[in-house]
Amino acid sequence: MGTLAAGPGAGRRGPRTMTRPTRLVASLALSLLVALPVAGCGPAGPTATSAVGLAPQPDGWRGLPLARERQLPDVALLATDGSPVVPARDLVGRPTLVFFGYTSCPDICPVHLATLSSAMRESRVDHDRVRVVFITVDPERDTPERIEEFLAHFDRRILGLTGERAAIEEALAVLDLPPATVDGEDPRGGGDLIGHPAQIIGFDAEGRARRVWPFGARRADWVVDLPRIVAEWS
Amino acid sequence: MNVAWWCSATPGQVWVWRYTPIVGVWLAALALGLGFLAAHRRAGVRPARRDTVRFSLGVIAIVAVSEWPIGQLGTGYLATVGVARWVTITFVAAPLIVTAIPTVVLDRLLPVDGAGGRRLAAVTRWPTALVLFNVVLLASHLPLTIDSLKTSQLGSFAVDVAHLTVALVWWWPALRREPDRGALGEPARAFYLFASSVLMFVPAAFLTFSPLPLYGLYELAPPLWLGYDAIADQQLAGITMNVVGGLVLWVVIGVLFLGWAAQQAELDAAERRARGRRLLSPPADRPGSDAPPR
Repeated sequence: MGTLAAGPGAGRRGPRTMTRPTRLVASLALSLLVALPVAGCGPAGPTATSAVGLAPQPDGWRGLPLARERQLPDVALLATDGSPVVPARDLVGRPTLVFFGYTSCPDICPVHLATLSSAMRESRVDHDRVRVVFITVDPERDTPERIEEFLAHFDRRILGLTGERAAIEEALAVLDLPPATVDGEDPRGGGDLIGHPAQIIGFDAEGRARRVWPFGARRADWVVDLPRIVAEWS
Repeated sequence: MNVAWWCSATPGQVWVWRYTPIVGVWLAALALGLGFLAAHRRAGVRPARRDTVRFSLGVIAIVAVSEWPIGQLGTGYLATVGVARWVTITFVAAPLIVTAIPTVVLDRLLPVDGAGGRRLAAVTRWPTALVLFNVVLLASHLPLTIDSLKTSQLGSFAVDVAHLTVALVWWWPALRREPDRGALGEPARAFYLFASSVLMFVPAAFLTFSPLPLYGLYELAPPLWLGYDAIADQQLAGITMNVVGGLVLWVVIGVLFLGWAAQQAELDAAERRARGRRLLSPPADRPGSDAPPR
């Protein structure tokens, strides 16, 4: 509690209202509110635009239905252990969720993969029931070892694929996705940012693309959709 | 250099360890400091050293958790840091500021029988303070509030101001010593704080035990490092609120209670001494005795 130290003016002034100090503080506060030459909080520009979950679709799914039919691409890729993988041939038989990204990605890729992996654990959907595939769009930097190390942060059972740049670009084109582009320098240093599709694409057991989950899909969205993927797409 | 007025979350913005001044924090600290000095000047008293130190420490605590990097990390990246900010503002800054205002300044600027004094007494009466504090605590930790308000600088500022304001109101009956201004007596103040600590555990429990992240803001924020999951962050946030907030509160409760107990012991001892003196003194010397000496 405050102790009293009487100043020279003590006792001379009677009780007064706080009009002037209050006005002073209020003016300052108002100045703060008005003087808002606001930039963002950090030096790096935003690379994603959403922080809310997906709105439920009329059919109850959170993932968005696709307007036109697409199939798993028939291109030659490589798993991190060096074995060849042709998605159209090798990734059928169970539902598959495919994401194009790169291991230096600072935002969308780790968030998407962490969200999906955590939701699979939470909803007890095993990788034997739903396969998750990560295809790098940065094959020059993303060595098999680097991909494995990156995926280990989320779930070692995620299948990491790489390949020739032409094959990866063809896979993107088949799926009607824009090609990967250099998107400026990584604000954290260490090379370029790569612009790439931000959605996870869901394929049924026959390799048909059924739905997409754009960036912004949350665990709460996945725990709704994962059991339905198992039940309806297997 | 990028400058912000008040820190808010920008979804998708990559975290970089590069200083970003938050000018609003410094302006707010300046406004608080000037307000403190102006109030003393208006009341015609010089700020006491102890009060100045307390007030300054309170303002420093606010600046420390609102400036870069803690402000930015807590607003847009890590729920744990967000809760740590709330704990600091509520349990460190607010009590320091409440105890830094001398009674004489209040008496001169907001007399008990004046309109301002009556309004202050009404707001800081313990049931009102308790309800206000807990309503704001719960409302400001709702996912809707966090995900919508903290993405704008004005919204984020409003949340911080609300936290500080209700914390000041809430500490008032527990730490002030003026009964005519709603201050609680002993040991009621310890029970008042205890009741608040129980209610504080509700949002803390939600954070700790929810199987899914409650806040999209933190769940979808670019990670500071790989492998640190939003669920783990949220659980740590709940534990921070529960353990750190609870610990600080219980220390305060303990200090208040021990102080009261010591005061009671001192009063008892004084009473015993006085009684002993009365018994030893001749009857004529005993106060209230009209009997003539024999």
